[in-house]
Amino acid sequence: MSNRPLIEHFQAMVRMRLFDEICMEGFRSREIHGELHTGIGQEAIAAGLAAALASVDALVSTHRNHMHALAKGVDPRALMAEIFEKETGLCRGRGGHMHPFDRKTNFSATGIVGSSLPVALGYAYAFWIEEQPNVGVAVTGDGGTNTGAFHECMNIAGAWKLPFVVVVENNAYAISVPIASVLATPTIAERAAAYGAWGRKVDGRDVEAVADAFAEAMGHARSGKGPAILEATCQRFQGHYEGDHDTYRTREEKKRMRAEDDPIALARGKLLASGEATEPELDAIVGESRQRYGAMLAAVRADPSPPAKEFRRFLFVA
Amino acid sequence: MSRNLSCSQIVAEAIGIEMERDERIVVLGEDVGAIGGVFGATRDLQRRFGDKRVRDMPISEMAFTGMGVGLAMAGYRPIVEVMFADFIGACLEQVYNAMAKIPFMSGGTMRMPMVLKTAGGCIGSAAQHSQCLWGLFAHLPGMKVVTPGSPYDYKGLMASALEGEDPVVYIEHQSQMSKKAATFRHGAEVPAERYTVPIGKAAVARQGRDLTLVTLSACVEQSLEAAETLFSEHIDVEVVDLRTVVPMDIETVAGSVARTQRLLVVDEDYLSFGVSGEVVARVVELLGTTAVKQVGRHGNPDVPVPAAKTLEDAVLPRAGSIANAVRRMAAAS
Repeated sequence: MSNRPLIEHFQAMVRMRLFDEICMEGFRSREIHGELHTGIGQEAIAAGLAAALASVDALVSTHRNHMHALAKGVDPRALMAEIFEKETGLCRGRGGHMHPFDRKTNFSATGIVGSSLPVALGYAYAFWIEEQPNVGVAVTGDGGTNTGAFHECMNIAGAWKLPFVVVVENNAYAISVPIASVLATPTIAERAAAYGAWGRKVDGRDVEAVADAFAEAMGHARSGKGPAILEATCQRFQGHYEGDHDTYRTREEKKRMRAEDDPIALARGKLLASGEATEPELDAIVGESRQRYGAMLAAVRADPSPPAKEFRRFLFVA
Repeated sequence: MSRNLSCSQIVAEAIGIEMERDERIVVLGEDVGAIGGVFGATRDLQRRFGDKRVRDMPISEMAFTGMGVGLAMAGYRPIVEVMFADFIGACLEQVYNAMAKIPFMSGGTMRMPMVLKTAGGCIGSAAQHSQCLWGLFAHLPGMKVVTPGSPYDYKGLMASALEGEDPVVYIEHQSQMSKKAATFRHGAEVPAERYTVPIGKAAVARQGRDLTLVTLSACVEQSLEAAETLFSEHIDVEVVDLRTVVPMDIETVAGSVARTQRLLVVDEDYLSFGVSGEVVARVVELLGTTAVKQVGRHGNPDVPVPAAKTLEDAVLPRAGSIANAVRRMAAAS
């Protein structure tokens, strides 16, 4: 088991939330001038992936990708600058918040729901023909599991036992459509049986449970046994995107999820109950993270935007 | 002396030479392995390079096209074969949102040396197996689009596509796959050794004084046949083979039009919003409106390719209809 002490997960989750809160600030100030999808409420899933991911593993994420990038080890400064549309960003401001790419950490994303799987499967195929014990990991939301690409990729990975892991962040809604109303089966994980795959549904609010299950899924894929589906249930506290009127969920439902389903609060409670940490220690982690990202934001704000005359650059290499 | 291979043998030869040179090249597609492609353009490659580098894929175009994207980002040079251009509807998402955009979206940090190889054009299989679609690919930014129309170019453009760093859509014409090199009027000589044809350079396939006929793919041969007939009628047509749609070598086209002052674009693809309109617009932008006396277009009049031969002949440019289009322009001049 590659699990980390809960206090480290706590710190990672706190940083992820603060990172996205800073993005929300940039959205309100219009420094981020397009769509913004935050993962607030879903931190335990991203944080739970970090320990079992090697830098050589590939992770392909979604439109809601910031936390996965941080979990994969993408430089937060370069990521924030990218989201804030700066020339200093990970992709020199060409990709923006939905399209971060980082060669160093084998991290990428797509803004198209379900399209992370085929790309991650390509990495898995590469690792397979090289006989390397690396894994191609795709993250998708629950909505993405209803695409044809999900079936195509799981079938191929199952047929050839490719090192392919699909992490399903089941936050219960595909924008406004309750996922339960459009699934043929009670869970997504049970589809694994159709593909000869490992499958598990886990409480995605519980970072330790996610980390344990993900480590098992990765171990399965690494050892040549084929693909895995890890379904992690969670709640998305914000709307699908910032500015979403979010009329599909009641006020009570949203209040309840923030009170009961907050993975950071749940981890805090556990840490305090077990005596692993004290309130001041946990507050210090939050304070330190706030300071760190506040300073980062100030620095990013001073960065230059891409020069307008370079709008064609990078279309072709030659 | 022509070795007189078929174009599909030539394509397979080109890929084989490149695979010998570069271990990062892998081929994914339906029926590309054991039978060497339904058109034979990957023949013998699986036997020579193994079933991991040349892989028969299930009918899962979205998955294996996206796999090409992932493989390219992982450092490979994938050839993804989409059997018929018409099937692009099953995987266009990965082509235009991922393959074509990732180099740009990543600020140049990700390379995408991927070749999407497909067969377009009509061999009588009607609406869903006869489309060219190079205009569609060309409309979407981020892909080079190559459309060889001669045996020489089938080999040389494949070599260029596989050694470059950019994503390339390589569109074969179905009707030329089993056609022997010696039967071609243009580019029939195919050296056995490796060579490249630069992407983005048109070729003057026939010199002439009276009119510039710009075309591509299998319509190059049809146009050369038409030009021979027209020459006997004292109409001297210059035929320019675009060879690549993106980037388009408009300088070569405009240089010819500047001399002939008459331009006809012949395109088997749909007429509207496509290559033919683009060629005309760019020529006028470059030379000005007074440099061109006559402009014409001859292509599929925006209808699905019909099944019946009588109807198919009515919508697709062929040597006879191309000659007629030139004659109409000559009569009106």
